[in-house]
Amino acid sequence: MLHLDPHNLLLQKTLAEAREAQLAGRPLTLDRIVSDFDYTTFHVSNAPEDKSMLWVSIRSKAYQTVASCGSTYQSYLKDKLEAYPGIQLSSQTEAAYDISLIVDLNKLTQEGVVYLSLLKVLVVSYPFHLAFEEFDRLSKIPVPVDEPPVLSDVLFNIKHRDNEQFFVKPSNDRVTVIFETIFEDETDKIFGKVFLQEFVDARKRNRNIQSSPQVLVSHEPPLEVQNFFNTHRQQAGSDSDQKKYITFVLFPRHFQTSELQFSTICHLALFRNYFHYHIKCSKAYMHSRMRYRVNTFVKVLNRAKLDDEDEEDAENKNGEQEHTRKTISGRKMVY
Amino acid sequence: MNLNPAVVMDNGTGLTKLGFAGNDSPSWIFPTAIATASPSGNKKTGSSATSSSVSGSGTNGSNGSSNPYFGNSTSATNFGGLTGGKMLLSNNLAGKRGTEDLDFYIGNEALVAAQSPSYSLSYPIRHGQVENWDHMERFWENSIFKYLRTEPEDHYFLLTEPPLNPPENREQVAEIFFESFNCAGLYIAVQAVLALAASWTSSKVIDRSLTGTVIDSGDGVTHVIPVAEGYVIGSAIKNIPIAGRDITEFIQSLLRERGEADTSLRTAERIKQEYCYVCPDIVKEFNKFDRQPEKFAQFIVESQEKTKQKVVDVGYERFLAPEIFFNPEIASSDYLTPLPTVVDQTIQACPIDVRKGLYNNIVLSGGSTMFKDFSRRLQRDMKSIVNARISQNEKMTGVKSSGVDVQVISHRKQRNAVWFGGSLLAQTAEFRGYCHTKRDYEEIGPEIVRNFSLFNVM
Ligand SMILES: Nc1ncnc2c1ncn2[C@@H]1O[C@H](COP(=O)(O)OP(=O)(O)O)[C@@H](O)[C@H]1O
Ligand SMILES: [Mg+2]
Repeated sequence: MLHLDPHNLLLQKTLAEAREAQLAGRPLTLDRIVSDFDYTTFHVSNAPEDKSMLWVSIRSKAYQTVASCGSTYQSYLKDKLEAYPGIQLSSQTEAAYDISLIVDLNKLTQEGVVYLSLLKVLVVSYPFHLAFEEFDRLSKIPVPVDEPPVLSDVLFNIKHRDNEQFFVKPSNDRVTVIFETIFEDETDKIFGKVFLQEFVDARKRNRNIQSSPQVLVSHEPPLEVQNFFNTHRQQAGSDSDQKKYITFVLFPRHFQTSELQFSTICHLALFRNYFHYHIKCSKAYMHSRMRYRVNTFVKVLNRAKLDDEDEEDAENKNGEQEHTRKTISGRKMVY
Repeated sequence: MNLNPAVVMDNGTGLTKLGFAGNDSPSWIFPTAIATASPSGNKKTGSSATSSSVSGSGTNGSNGSSNPYFGNSTSATNFGGLTGGKMLLSNNLAGKRGTEDLDFYIGNEALVAAQSPSYSLSYPIRHGQVENWDHMERFWENSIFKYLRTEPEDHYFLLTEPPLNPPENREQVAEIFFESFNCAGLYIAVQAVLALAASWTSSKVIDRSLTGTVIDSGDGVTHVIPVAEGYVIGSAIKNIPIAGRDITEFIQSLLRERGEADTSLRTAERIKQEYCYVCPDIVKEFNKFDRQPEKFAQFIVESQEKTKQKVVDVGYERFLAPEIFFNPEIASSDYLTPLPTVVDQTIQACPIDVRKGLYNNIVLSGGSTMFKDFSRRLQRDMKSIVNARISQNEKMTGVKSSGVDVQVISHRKQRNAVWFGGSLLAQTAEFRGYCHTKRDYEEIGPEIVRNFSLFNVM
């Protein structure tokens, strides 16, 4: 099915098993790598000399740019994570990883396990959090009527893949999230185009999803980020004309409560993965149809062959009486 | 640089082993099964049977943790954690036309879904080879995105194939991995060769060579495969139609004969895995049981709701079941050659200059070689076959032989030896150099995967 969970199933399973084994008095020996989308890798291992403590480290492509969005990143992560018993942000980070946590399996709760399996989302949630805060500040500034919306000069830019990035832009009545996207594969390009068109139209067609954020697709960088691209010309690169921009417009109804905020972030953080997953599934579906077609053609061809051989049989001077009969799929009948 | 770990996938007839290179065990082990929506429409019953609260929100609450479907399995047909009323997250596709191809589950979720009438279960791999490519493609799609959470464009993949896999099958695999998934790079390794690499963890193995005889016994078939310096000697491979499933069915038939309280396949399989062992001599073992009744065990089956208990006696099947490898006539009337004889015949069918190495390094792999003392018995029986032949030769020729050293290797990673061997090879720095990349594929086409250069990390 196309459903992807926001949390990492494997990380969750690994931690849940470690926790259960610890509680049952048979702690596991662990040294595991777990992967996630967008160049994210987790490492789960026992703390030296104490199997009831785990090290959980994460490395993610987006980390660098996320961390530079603001000065409060570490304390943000600490607040969020340490709200769960048994989880502690380590001051030392494992080599080759970005963040390390120390987890006390005796204190870790089931909720804690689920929260840890959302670690990747948490890592990229920071710019969204800052944007929502900025929105709060801006929306309190009174705006004279007939004036354009107050545009803040705050713009968060996150490079989550080698070739792609996304932006979060707060203003006084909305928060805009813009994904840059590019396809390497020619086939994908076409599927992607169709898919994006459908994606934009779906909201117009289906009443039930009218309250979801508005989606826009463009070839040019949207207004909100044009300044960024003007100053970062060189960054645009040679393939910039291949790129497309997908804009999600979030209104207060999408981030009023902290639950809503988190759920919105989860969906946005998975957007690119969903998008590509859908394209791959569509290709698999096309392949099924192609295999089916080829099979029916082969059947037809096999039937054609039957006549051919029959003629040969008839011409056969030896006058062999035997006719070779074939089944519909071309197998020889034996009798 | 791309630091992503390579993905190692071993799709067996019964169980699929998935994980990342560098780990010491597979991350996921689940049945190679897929449940697809039955074409005829009784979708109403199906959706209510499988639907639960589709929260859709990001925070999955506490019910997300330790989901019973996600533990690793040891069974291809039964799902142990079927307790409680835990429901599948609904596909929520009921009534949407044209989405049948999206409505499916794999692995343990497939076994659960197949209990409702709106899904039908199938196993896309038969005798080690892919039979249904449509199902397999979807099985992989779900494995990669849902279970491994990897974007295939960012990872290299190591897949395994059975011995004598037709090259057309390899090409199909390449088509799917490069065209559907755009995977960064692909290596397809022969299972037996990986099993040899896995045996390097054993302290008995001193020279890390890729020469040896692999006995790979899984769910459906048992293969005996001679490998010389990394190349499979195809002409000498032998199959034995006895494997895990047959042993389970044999136990089930004994339970039925005795009229035990529970004679399900699931119980039989658990008895097989928890109680069975290989004995040195069945006559003596029967006597031992008669003298020491404590050898008889009892197995307690809990009902789904954990309210009722059934007690199943476990008797002679403890040693009789695995004995069918060594005395097949116990269970069948048409297949009669004992495993040690087959191994000996296999090696004798190989060129004379490699035979020594093949006797010397007989490596076990797969779930059905896990019985206690399996290797010891095999080694003893092989030795007596070899010694008998040597002494006969000596008698006939009058020349003293220097003898042949028979050694059967059993090691800790044996159960998932194929996967583990793959993990060892795929974590090396050289691995990527041996893969075919997406660019190679686009330039040359699917036939590129007909050849992979062999690589020996040592
Ligand atoms: N401890 C055990 N003892 C005996 N049989 C086992 C054990 N663990 C697993 N099996 C059996 O091994 C088989 C699966 O082995 P595996 O090598 O994974 O098969 P395949 O690769 O063909 O899918 C199953 O039939 C299972 O019942
Ligand atoms: Mg196997």
